Amino acid sequence: MHLKKILSFAVAALFALSLGACSSAKGPAEQALKSAEDALNAGKADAMKYIPEKVKSAEDALKTAKDAFAKGDYPAATAAAADVTAKVKDFGAAVAAKKTELTKAWEGQSQLLPNMIASIKSRVDVLTKSRKLPANLDKEKFEGAKNGLAEIEKAWGEASSAFKEGGLADALAKAKSVKAKAVEIMTTLGMQVPEAAKG
Amino acid sequence: MPDEPVQGKGKEGMDSTQWHEVKKGDTLSKIAEKYYGDPGLYTTIFEANRDRLKDPNLIRIGQKLRIP
Repeated sequence: MHLKKILSFAVAALFALSLGACSSAKGPAEQALKSAEDALNAGKADAMKYIPEKVKSAEDALKTAKDAFAKGDYPAATAAAADVTAKVKDFGAAVAAKKTELTKAWEGQSQLLPNMIASIKSRVDVLTKSRKLPANLDKEKFEGAKNGLAEIEKAWGEASSAFKEGGLADALAKAKSVKAKAVEIMTTLGMQVPEAAKG
Repeated sequence: MPDEPVQGKGKEGMDSTQWHEVKKGDTLSKIAEKYYGDPGLYTTIFEANRDRLKDPNLIRIGQKLRIP
């Protein structure tokens, strides 16, 4: 009988201890989650423009942390929250690296595309004065090329504005479509396409 | 001596200047007809190559001409 009492007491004590342990882990886990979420929200906007895949990875880690917390697994929640914080800390360096990469790519495009547009414009100007179009170029194709030139001049202006406003990824996407169209026009007009614009 | 370009190349292939390498039988009129469809526009090519041409009737085989 005496032993039974001791055992009951021990079980009760262990239960109380585990409850205490749980509640003592809950607070830090909650704090870690909040810090991780705040850090992610603060760094997310700029990072989304340059490293969306890393932002997604951090968001997934945050979800893992929240799920663990909801299940009462506070140590796992704390660990996952720390993972989120570590991922967010890497955002700065990753964004800087991506900006450097995009800026370098932009510099290449900003040398190539104005040259291509100028060459096309020059050829269109001469062909406009021509009494007859060259072989393999009919009036319809020439009109298409002229319209295409107006389109790429406008699109290049937009790409340049996007770059000046800091929209590197947007500027490069626009530049890519300008390049594709410029190659198409040059081919239509029977012009030589620069090596850097091929492929 | 003006630069002797390689067609379509330049600094890292960025140059989009258009070139024609003179072949046997070429005249500026024939070149103008080929690129513009109009032999009368030979003067456009001559003017674009004044740094390397003194006379529109004197071009030499292998010479590289800018085609505006």
